[in-house]
Amino acid sequence: MLQITRRNSSSMAATCVLAAVCLGVAAPALAAAPAAQPAAPASIEGSAAAVHGLTGTWNRYPQLGEAPDPKLPPPPPPVAPPPLKAQYKPDWNAKQEAIKEADARGEPPFTDYVKCLPDGMPTMMIAMFPMEVLQTPGQVTIMQEAYNQVRRIYLNEKQIPIEDAEPGYWGHSVGHWEGNTLIVDTVGIKPTVLFRGVPHSDQMRIHERIEMLRPDFFEDHITVEDPVYLTAPWSFTYAYTRLPHYKMLEYVCDSNREYKDPKTGGTRMRIGGH
Amino acid sequence: MRQSIRAWRRSMGWSVAPLCAAVALGASGVALAHHSFAMFDSAHQVKLAGTVKSFEWSNPHVYIELNATGADGSSKDYTVECANPGILDRIGWKFNMIKPGDKITVIIAPLKTGEPGGLLKQVTLPDGRVFANGAPAGKASIK
Repeated sequence: MLQITRRNSSSMAATCVLAAVCLGVAAPALAAAPAAQPAAPASIEGSAAAVHGLTGTWNRYPQLGEAPDPKLPPPPPPVAPPPLKAQYKPDWNAKQEAIKEADARGEPPFTDYVKCLPDGMPTMMIAMFPMEVLQTPGQVTIMQEAYNQVRRIYLNEKQIPIEDAEPGYWGHSVGHWEGNTLIVDTVGIKPTVLFRGVPHSDQMRIHERIEMLRPDFFEDHITVEDPVYLTAPWSFTYAYTRLPHYKMLEYVCDSNREYKDPKTGGTRMRIGGH
Repeated sequence: MRQSIRAWRRSMGWSVAPLCAAVALGASGVALAHHSFAMFDSAHQVKLAGTVKSFEWSNPHVYIELNATGADGSSKDYTVECANPGILDRIGWKFNMIKPGDKITVIIAPLKTGEPGGLLKQVTLPDGRVFANGAPAGKASIK
């Protein structure tokens, strides 16, 4: 009931108050305030609810084969095709087709992922495996169990000029809280680090609205912008549920038996050990 | 309820395609695994009983090396690919639950190349316990 009321509210102040109530955090003054009254101004890192709500371990929702929970918001829709500029579309379409055909032949492409290179951004937010978030002063750290990935979001800092962003897997991220939503800006993704095989330039920018909808549920609304390759921003959302008491495992790819078939270029599995 | 969420999402100024819970049911978009399973033939699963030569608990995959007797009666070594320690931990496996010398039975999706190996679908341990290989690998279709 509270959730519905909160969703219909256009007032961020009321949202903060209700979020505090919903999240059940130790914010008695906020929680006791009637929804009609404006909330106290958010602290530098956002509302009390937001400051600690993300800390913990999370699973992508819904998990493979899992039916959606009617008590939670409906699962986000599937990712739409990328709004690539006309000159880049045929190549991307052809590559998607080639992947399908290679799979049908039983020779799946030997990708960076099969080589055991990490996903990078924004693919990491697919959260193939559990994800841990830590909120510490001035920083939100997101860790993905697969490939031991770590991304650091520096709070309340100005983003560096895009031309100064060193290319990497997770880029340079800055963020700030707006109520229960962490607004994140990321630049500096390596040209070889691709989401769904979509090419990008060094002008690519990833915007995220990491929104705590309930204490045990959040959504990451991701928007990719790239004036070189895309005609419009490309938006998609992933949802996550809390995974209480889960302890993250290490993931070191020290026994990769998949290799590239020199003849077909497809993935093969080495037989008989290393 | 859904209407209100939609309205609220619009009010937040973010373009979100119409929500469709039914679509998300079967296609959550979660990356399946370290690699595609297209190299395995899940439609023609086989059952093998044999002796464990080694059990390797590692990433990106866990492996069982199994000496088993094939349909032609000859003994052969098979490489059985399992999910990874994380997936298997979460469905109740333990890093040391299979040991060299154990007599086990596996159901695998064999390699399409015909080489002696495949993707695990189900394993039966010497004490009779049965384990699947996690949601991405899929279930056994034979008994």
